Formats: sequence, C-alpha cells, structure tokens
Amino acid sequence: MTLYCIGLNHETAPVEIREKFAVPAPKQGAFSKEIAQLDGIEEAVVLSTCNRTEVYLTTEDIKKADYDIKKYLIDDLEQAHLDSYFYQISAADAIRHLCDVVSGINSMVLGETEIFGQVKEAYRQAHGSSATGGLLNKLFQKSFSVGKKVRNQSNIQIGQTSVGSVAVDLAEKIFGHLKNSMVMVIGAGEMSRVTAQSFKSRGAKTIFVANRSYDRAVELAKELDGEAVRFDDWEKVMQKVDVVVSSTGAPHAIVHAEHVEAVRKSRKYRPIFFIDIAVPRDISPEVNKFEEVYLYDMDTLQQLADEGKNRRQEQVLVCKNIIEDEIKTISMISQNG
Amino acid sequence: MDALSWLLLLICSLAGLATAIGMISLAKGNKSKATLSLMIIVFISECAFLYLRGEQRGKCPLGDWGEILMFIAWSLTMFYLVIGSTYRVSLLGFFSAPFVFIFAAICLIPGVLEKNVVREAGDALTVDYWGELHSALAVLSYGSFALAMIVAVMFLALNKKLKDKTLSGGLFNNLPPIHTLTVLCNRLLWLGLVILTAGIMSSFLMEDFSSHQSHLWTAIAVWLVYLIFLTYKLLSGMQPKTFAIACCLIFFGSLIPFALL
Repeated sequence: MTLYCIGLNHETAPVEIREKFAVPAPKQGAFSKEIAQLDGIEEAVVLSTCNRTEVYLTTEDIKKADYDIKKYLIDDLEQAHLDSYFYQISAADAIRHLCDVVSGINSMVLGETEIFGQVKEAYRQAHGSSATGGLLNKLFQKSFSVGKKVRNQSNIQIGQTSVGSVAVDLAEKIFGHLKNSMVMVIGAGEMSRVTAQSFKSRGAKTIFVANRSYDRAVELAKELDGEAVRFDDWEKVMQKVDVVVSSTGAPHAIVHAEHVEAVRKSRKYRPIFFIDIAVPRDISPEVNKFEEVYLYDMDTLQQLADEGKNRRQEQVLVCKNIIEDEIKTISMISQNG
Repeated sequence: MDALSWLLLLICSLAGLATAIGMISLAKGNKSKATLSLMIIVFISECAFLYLRGEQRGKCPLGDWGEILMFIAWSLTMFYLVIGSTYRVSLLGFFSAPFVFIFAAICLIPGVLEKNVVREAGDALTVDYWGELHSALAVLSYGSFALAMIVAVMFLALNKKLKDKTLSGGLFNNLPPIHTLTVLCNRLLWLGLVILTAGIMSSFLMEDFSSHQSHLWTAIAVWLVYLIFLTYKLLSGMQPKTFAIACCLIFFGSLIPFALL
C-alpha cells in the first residue's frame, strides 16, 4: 500500500483555479468518504483551505488512483488543461509534504498556525466518515506531533509578516490585551478596514470610524460593529482612544502636534499609539516628540513585516531538519502499516 | 567560614548564576526557566540567613548595613516571587537577580557585616516590639520601592525600544507590555507607601523614641516625597517616562540620607 498525495496550492495555481477545487469546510469528510470508495483506493483525507486543496490517500495502484482522482475532481473533460496545476507526490515525499503543511512551512504566510487546526479538522472529518484506516490514522497523528515539535523547537512563528498584524502586535506591546482598548480609524479605505479588522479580531473594545464622507464612515462602522464619527469630531474622540489608525487620501498631514498637545492633559498623559498607513503621511512626524506617543508609519511597519518574513525564512532550514529526523520514524510506520 | 558566610556565598552565587543564565537566555531570545527556581532557593537561603542572624542578635537583624542590605534583598526577592507570578512578569527575576547579587556581594566585603554580634541581654519582655516592627516595616517598604524601581527600569528599556523602533531581540520579546509595567510600578509604590506608613506609625509607640528621631524624620521625609509624588500622579497624570525616571531617582535619593545618618 502506497501513500499518495495529489493537490494544488498557492504556488502551483492562481486563486481563480484554486477556487474551482475548493471543498466547503464541512463537506471535507463526505468528499473523503467518496474518494475512499473509489476502486483501488483504501483510505483518503481531503484537505481544503483557501490556499490549497489536497487529497491524501493510500492505494496499490498509483497510476489508476491518479486518473480516478483527477476524473473525480475535474469532471469536465474540456477542462483537462487544469491538470497542469496539480502536483503528485508519493511515499516518503508525501509524508514530508504533509509534515511541511502541518508545520506551516508550506503556507503562503510562512509559519502561520491556522493550517494546523485546518489539517486537524480535515482529518477529524475524514476519520468520522470512516474514510481513514490504519496507515493514514498513524501518519496524520504523527504529523501533528511533528507540527507541534517544529513550533516548539523553532522560531518559525515568531514575528508578524503583515502590516496589520505588526500594528496589532505593537499595540499589544503597549496596552497588553486589547479588550479595554478603543481604536479610532481616520479614513474608511481598504487599508483602514483591514487594519481595523485586525484590531477587532484581537478584541478591541470600540472602533470609531471618522471619514470625510460620513456615509462611508457609517458603512465601515457597521461592518466593524463600531461607531461612525463626523470628520470634524475626530479631535474630540482622540481624547478617549488608545490607538489612532490613519489612512486617508489627503495630500497633506491631518494630525499635527498641536492636536495631540490639546488633548494630552485631559488624557492624563496615557500612552497613545498612532499608526499612519497613508502615503503621503497623515500624521506629522513631530507628534512622536511627546513621551507617551508611539508613532509608526507605513515604511516602518512594512520594514518590520519584512524582517518578520526574513526571520521566518531563516527558520525554514531548522524546521526542515526537525522534519527530516521525524520522517525516519514515520517512514517506518508507513512501511509497517 | 561560619554558616552565615556560607549562606551569603550561596545567595551571591545563585543570584549571580540567575543573572548569567537570564542574560544568556535573553541573548538567545528565550525566557530563562531556571531563574524562578534559582530565586526560590535564594529566598529560602535569605530566610535562613536572617533567622540565624536574628538569633545571634536576639532581635530583628537590622543592626548594621550588611543586615539592612540583606533585609532589602529578602523583601525584594519576596515581592518578586509574589508579584512576578501574579502579573506573569517572568523577566522581573532577571532584573531583580543582579540587585540581590550586588547586595549579597557587598555583604561579603569584610566589615560590612559585623563579625562579633553581641546578643541583646534581657528576656522577651524587655524587647521593644514597636521598635522592631518599625525597623522591619521600614525595610520591607524599601523592598517594595526597590522592586518598583526595577519595574521602572524595565519600562524605560521597553519604552526606548518602542520609541527607537528597534523591536527585535530577546529583551523586547520577553518584556511585558508598557501598560502592565506602569500599573505594576504604580501599585508597588502605593504598597511601599502603605507599609512605610505603618512603619512610621509603629515608631511613635517605640519606648526609646527620642534616640531614633533623626532616622524617624528621614523616614517621614521619604514618606512625604512618595506621598506627594503618587498623589500628583493620581490627580494630574504624568508622562510615563517621567514617572519611571522619577521612580528611580526618588528610590536612590531616599537611600542617601539613611547612608549619611
């Protein structure tokens, strides 16, 4: 019985192709069961995330299984060209690939932890649908312990890799948990929305949205479950917020030192974190002269995100070595399985 | 060497080791798991030291500079063990250990710790308990102020990194948030002030009040400075960096008059 993996991911296929093969998360178990019932296939696990769709299976006849799976996935023969987006991996390489996936080193955002839970869920559903047997059960269980080991023994998940995550991490370094923090977003564009959502996802208490177009502010505030603020009132709101995210299309600075000076005393000099993700900048660099002000602009945040990416990239080799050591024991399992 | 010297050497070595291990761990970007264990052993050794010294003196061991330093080191370690775990400020051990090491090392210098201590004559009824309580509470409050000063130093280190945008390294990753450090520093100062208040109040009940007047007035002056400082912060607010620097300056400043007396 040979372990076989067929799939496509963000490296081999663009999103418009990946979405054709996406399996809704709750249906992964049912799909696994259907594949496991194909002739010549013993066990199967379907894993589908926004960046990949993969089928792990065991078979005696790889060629036949390959043909059957593709036929199952690509039922329209006119779309046979899609074949080129797929990769096929077998035996030890498939084990290695699974470990890479579980460990997050095969992810679009290197070292991300969400994939671990997604693989676990895919396996849980397949197992629940009786689509797995002795070999895949042992392999997936082992891959989870490898994933944990990689995360514990390397720094693959240290540092953030996106501007939004870096900003939220910095806010947590200043305020601790964000559940008592109030955030004001100036500008209701895409960058404001993404950054505000990062704060929302980490539990920010209230999000105020100030925008020149009040209707747009109301719209975004509704989406974020926050409060819309008329643009003329942002200075008043600054008295009570902990974080100010600014991303307007203004050709000049909006927040100046005198605006901050005006509210310092009433704020009792509480720390305030300014995130300027606008180009040209919305917040005058002079604001940073105040002791309790922490001002970060787009370049700094992007640089920090790049440093995070580089640090994670450097850790890939460490992770690969851990995985190689573990694969030796997994290979023994698969041979004895 | 007698048992007390061995204990001092042990405290000094373990605190030094905790400092070194903490520095190596931070350089590697990790938290030191050994610091807490080492500091627990340091605390037990400090308790043993103070107990033996107290037995020698027949009263609270605050009779010379060595004993005062060891008492401050003991209260510093105790507050670290309580506060560090309560607020999950594990790095507090790394910052406290060097101070304990320095205090113990100073005590090892010949002459700092009196060699031939004469046990107080008389029975238990003749011991001035209010005087003992005053001394113990006053030194305990200094442990709290000292730990607040250490937290302030941690704040200043993190604040500089955030202001300069140098956000990598073990120190940055392991320091608790600015808000936690500010709150912790504030609470430690209030705790120290409350203990010092109790210490001063107990001094008014001392039998030999007049012979300790200079110490007492100094303690009242220190108490007043902390009271004004904290009340101002409470009512008007204060820039966090100014607060942290003031916290360090007041602590070191408050040591000077006692050293001169």
